[in-house]
Amino acid sequence: MNRIIRYTYPRSASQLPSLANRSPWSSLESEIDRLFGSALGDFAAPALAPRFPIDLYEDKDNTYVRAELPGVSRDNINIEMVDGYLNINASRKQGEESFSLSRSVAIPEAVQADKVAAAYENGVLTVTLPKQEQAKPRKIAITVN
Amino acid sequence: MSLFNQIVPRLSRPFARRSLDGQVATENEFTVKPAYELTENDDAWGLTAQLPGVTKDGLEVTAEEGQITIRGRRSWQKPEGWTAVYRESVDAPYELVLEHDNTVDTDKIVAELKEGVLRVSLPKSEAVKPRKIAVN
Repeated sequence: MNRIIRYTYPRSASQLPSLANRSPWSSLESEIDRLFGSALGDFAAPALAPRFPIDLYEDKDNTYVRAELPGVSRDNINIEMVDGYLNINASRKQGEESFSLSRSVAIPEAVQADKVAAAYENGVLTVTLPKQEQAKPRKIAITVN
Repeated sequence: MSLFNQIVPRLSRPFARRSLDGQVATENEFTVKPAYELTENDDAWGLTAQLPGVTKDGLEVTAEEGQITIRGRRSWQKPEGWTAVYRESVDAPYELVLEHDNTVDTDKIVAELKEGVLRVSLPKSEAVKPRKIAVN
């Protein structure tokens, strides 16, 4: 029995019209563009990214968050503590343009949210978050009988 | 854009220079390039560099032959007892070197550092400014 089976393949031209008139090298070219784009993206990153660098420190009594926010006026920095996360929002005015910067950091230990203090100096914001009493290392004297 | 009368970032690091007594100068310390922006108008170039954590004492702006160097050292030191839990910033000093074709009037450079942002005005030397020539 002869059976004629016709397979219909989607023609690439009809499926992807944009690909039809591209040169055979176009995928290589776009790949090279992509590689350069990502490599150059790294250089451009610090100036453009709304994500500013953050450091987290701690000592016995406090947790400290330091954020590099150069050129931001103090009035435009908003800090809030929500559910174990410290949210930092700032906006920087550069000429007529205004950029908003925002980060959220998970604070590893329970802090006294009402006693959080912040200082801004030389373009660096330091937030001091006092640890809650139960989070502090405690020394308990146990008498051995 | 012409190649002349421009101010451009230096792309390569210089070779370790040898000072007079034959010792290698210790200037190949690791540095980071700050985020910066260059603007231009008819009279001057304007440089804005972000140097968070740098104070006036730690900042050095030098104008040499055809080269402007900005070096900034962070003044803040980690107090004793603090442990770093998570770091994103770098402790290395900032360094930005810009090269120009002696088109900057080095005597008139003005720099201002405010809240971690350095603004430098680099006036163009008279020879570079566009001059209107009267036609008789």
